[in-house]
Amino acid sequence: MKLRVLAALWRLNVAEELQYRANFVASLLGTLLWIVTALLTLAVFFRHTTRLGDWDYWEVVVLLGVFNTLTGVIEAVLRPGIGRLAGEVKSGGLDLVLAKPVDAQGFVSFRRLDVWRFTDVVLGLTLAGYALYRLRRVPSIVQLAAFALALAAAVVVVYALWVALMSLAFWFVSVENLSVLFDAVYEGARYPVSAYPGALRFVFVYLIPVAWTTTIPASALTGRLEPAVALIAAAVAGVAFALTRLLWRTALKRYGGASG
Amino acid sequence: MSRLAGWLRRYGALLRAAWLQDLQYRASIVLWLLWGVTEPAIALGIWWAIAAGGPVEGYARADFARYFFALMLVNQLTIAWDSWYLDTWIREGELNFRLVRPLHPAHEAVAENIAYKARTASMILLVWLVVALAWPAVRLPFGAGRWALTAVAVLLAAALRFFISFATGLHAFWTTRATAIMELHAGISLFLSGRLAPLALLPPAVARTAGFLWFPYMLAFPVDLLTGAVHGAALLQGFVGQVVWLGVWIVAYRLAWTRGLRKYGAVGG
Repeated sequence: MKLRVLAALWRLNVAEELQYRANFVASLLGTLLWIVTALLTLAVFFRHTTRLGDWDYWEVVVLLGVFNTLTGVIEAVLRPGIGRLAGEVKSGGLDLVLAKPVDAQGFVSFRRLDVWRFTDVVLGLTLAGYALYRLRRVPSIVQLAAFALALAAAVVVVYALWVALMSLAFWFVSVENLSVLFDAVYEGARYPVSAYPGALRFVFVYLIPVAWTTTIPASALTGRLEPAVALIAAAVAGVAFALTRLLWRTALKRYGGASG
Repeated sequence: MSRLAGWLRRYGALLRAAWLQDLQYRASIVLWLLWGVTEPAIALGIWWAIAAGGPVEGYARADFARYFFALMLVNQLTIAWDSWYLDTWIREGELNFRLVRPLHPAHEAVAENIAYKARTASMILLVWLVVALAWPAVRLPFGAGRWALTAVAVLLAAALRFFISFATGLHAFWTTRATAIMELHAGISLFLSGRLAPLALLPPAVARTAGFLWFPYMLAFPVDLLTGAVHGAALLQGFVGQVVWLGVWIVAYRLAWTRGLRKYGAVGG
């Protein structure tokens, strides 16, 4: 995927979105509502306990901040891009993408930005920062670098998850709402991995290891993990990305085109 | 008598159409179902972990398990998505051909509701039965009378949520953000309708406030009825609350429908 093509797509896209400034306010209000809801949810849990999976209140808030940051990337880049894949496989709209002289996976994934949703990234990082202040923790430079690396790795893993789930559309054509499956799975990232008992731990920690995507970056900030763990996270992300390429190619072989 | 026969015939046709349509999108329906049970499953997991040290305000681990399994079933049976439909219908002009039919569009929505819920709720019930074989915590003691009362409460709750969703969706006649109102309503109902926790675990002032609104009657009341947590005066109060709020929301729906139609300019071809 040539960067020049992407830059041109995004420039057009931003110019278009800037016309709809009311969407910015709506998006901001939506995010604030979400954050208030999430904090109240935690408040209900912490009325009856002092720790959740051995994390205290403000540590879990750091994790919520990371979750919201990831949500921003998902809503701004992934849902408007690869999130539309299932519908296009069904309608045959993918034909138009495949006919273009660019890398299809790259084009499908990054063609469109919902720029206003990047406010979630800012608000998420702000929330994590405020929670760190309440914890009276100042992360070292090494810890901040580990956090940045772990967060980038988490973005790659979440992207890989989207590709994996959306590729199911090539096998089961009539599932337009495949993105709902991602929403269900992603709910598992709202709490630290250690908070889940029994069957849920199996699902969210081992089967679809989505809970790690927030737990590892948040742990890097709060000093629960050695910074070196971020390197392992990056390696996992590299493997996950390689697997998505492989899966994309396999899946595309099943595509017969459907439009008229 | 012939009027009744006419309605039966109409609903027969609507239900058959809705059922066949759902059949075509079986995989999609399973995905909606999974999405619907994730939230209560996670809430159960967190409360299960919190209750490791002993009961929380009288709720032991098994009580949480029963509460959230009942919640999954009742939520599936009472869920309403009509505000999202109405928003699209009104904005894109899909309401037009529905208005021309000799049948109020709400009947189509009701038929879809019944077909979808018959399919999905029976799936949840089946999974519940299988899980209960292995996990005694989620077994409910048998009680024909209580189950019959629960059926009535679930029906009232489903009607209540239907009219709330329909009345709110009709705001699309006036604003382009009718679904945002529904999102806000969903955010509040997470706490006040008992989706996150049994109301007894909320701060007492919040739980009391909820009792004056319609939220507990959407979910918490039928759930508590099914698990056997309400008795006596609370039982009567629950049904009265359901009926009163159902009446209020039906009036709200009538107002929004008649005024909205007068305002409606019908876009689209």
